[in-house]
Amino acid sequence: MKKSVVSKEYTNLQKEIIKLQEQWKQSLTPEIVKPSLDKAAIEAGVPAAALTAIDFDIPLFLQWIDEINDLISKQNPEQGPRVKKLGELLDSETAIRWIDEAFSLNQFYFVSFAQENEIEEWIPQFFAETALRPYLQLVAEVLKDEITQAIPGLGCPVCGEPVRLAQLEGEGKKVVNCPRCLAHWSEKRVCCSHCGNDDHKTIQNITIEGDPTSQIQVCEKCHGYVKVIDTRQFISKPSSAILDLNTIHLDFVAQENGYTVSARESESN
Amino acid sequence: MATKYVKYVDVTKCDGCRACMVACKNWNDLPAEPQDFLGSMQSHANVTADTWNVLTFVEHENSKGNLDYLFRHSSCFHCTDAACEKVCPENAISYTDKGMVVVDQEVCVGCGYCEQNCPFDVIHLKTYKDENGKEYRKAHKCTMCTDRLDEGLQPACVTTCHTGAMEFGEKDEIISKAEKRVKEIKERYPNAQVYNPQGVGGTHTIYVLAEKPSVYGLPENPKVPTSAVLWKDYAQPIGKAMVGGVAMALAGAFVANKFFDKKNGGQEEDGGGNHE
Repeated sequence: MKKSVVSKEYTNLQKEIIKLQEQWKQSLTPEIVKPSLDKAAIEAGVPAAALTAIDFDIPLFLQWIDEINDLISKQNPEQGPRVKKLGELLDSETAIRWIDEAFSLNQFYFVSFAQENEIEEWIPQFFAETALRPYLQLVAEVLKDEITQAIPGLGCPVCGEPVRLAQLEGEGKKVVNCPRCLAHWSEKRVCCSHCGNDDHKTIQNITIEGDPTSQIQVCEKCHGYVKVIDTRQFISKPSSAILDLNTIHLDFVAQENGYTVSARESESN
Repeated sequence: MATKYVKYVDVTKCDGCRACMVACKNWNDLPAEPQDFLGSMQSHANVTADTWNVLTFVEHENSKGNLDYLFRHSSCFHCTDAACEKVCPENAISYTDKGMVVVDQEVCVGCGYCEQNCPFDVIHLKTYKDENGKEYRKAHKCTMCTDRLDEGLQPACVTTCHTGAMEFGEKDEIISKAEKRVKEIKERYPNAQVYNPQGVGGTHTIYVLAEKPSVYGLPENPKVPTSAVLWKDYAQPIGKAMVGGVAMALAGAFVANKFFDKKNGGQEEDGGGNHE
């Protein structure tokens, strides 16, 4: 039977964070999102969020950072003093920079920010990413009727996150889910999300013994993988973010076997 | 309070494909039981110790004189107040935290009281032989895939149902859904009803039946046998209390006896000393 390798404490923390993010998203009005989707740019693989003007509320962003701070301190008092310092370091200017860098997943910026300010490496990006996601999720929600497919290999069409998670719905339809912005789009059941290969001879499904709901769909052409979870069997469906977290063992299995989520056909050749 | 979950079976949506039977065998590793032709599409006459759910096929002449071919997924109802649990002398039958009725085969002695008292005839004994050729029996029945439920998964039969005749969900929602469905189908099936018999405290399988329960071979008003209630709820606790009382009396008598014996012994010794 399936067992998550993630500790209960961390899962609970993530559940609380997701609850907060949902509340934050609800507090935003869709009018702050002004998409200007350029067909050529979309076809070239530019994420829709990058083509969207978002009216960020910086004081609100800072307030969310404080709320995450409080939540982490409450859930894990040991981390309290480590994350508390962040409140003193952040001002409006830094927050704007954080939003930009978190959006482009600039890990180098956050690492150097942590080193400069003598805080633990994980803290800045974790906080920035957590507070940015409600905006990305709002963009995905606003664009849900317009973004119905993705270009293989270019990640999530809304936020650019590498594709790694899909769910089976209805009669077995494969729906790819982005755990970052919660965008979702359909894809052919036998098709690689990374290179578009739909040759059934080079697409394999790895099943995990004793886990009736999980498969790893791997492509022998580009060595990409996607976790395919049959959530139709679940009593209650978790959010994509929690599902992604709870199936992290599948990422280990896939990556230990030489598959990646950023695979491209050209790289394998 | 923990959320209560139940299985929902809308027989009017069932197309008799029997995938639920296959899924059950598959998930629970149950052996095949080849059957002779029974004269109808029905594969097995009833559920058995190795076939925990059976698709029943009933040919029924309805009130308009037309033929209805009625299908029903038949398996353990997981009664809230289960007769099998009440009559089990070894406490081998118990409720899970989700209220499902399960048998602990390690504890079961194969007495067969559960089989005799189940109002739905869904628990049966399987005969085994040990290495010396001695026969012994154990009770078996549907577990509602408790191992799956514990992992947050729906029962195997529900997962495989392609017509949506079976669902698994929160009790209150399912009951509302069943009542709504009955209203929808009343015109076609005037005797349609929700089957969630209160005589056994309600069940963890809620049916939408197209006809009266008896048409499907179900009891109209199943009840936990009075003898079982008397036995489990009254006789056993009183018996245990009496055993406790007797044990206490014996212990008291033992202590008192020891005390007086000691006293007597002391007197004798004293007496012996005096005599000397």
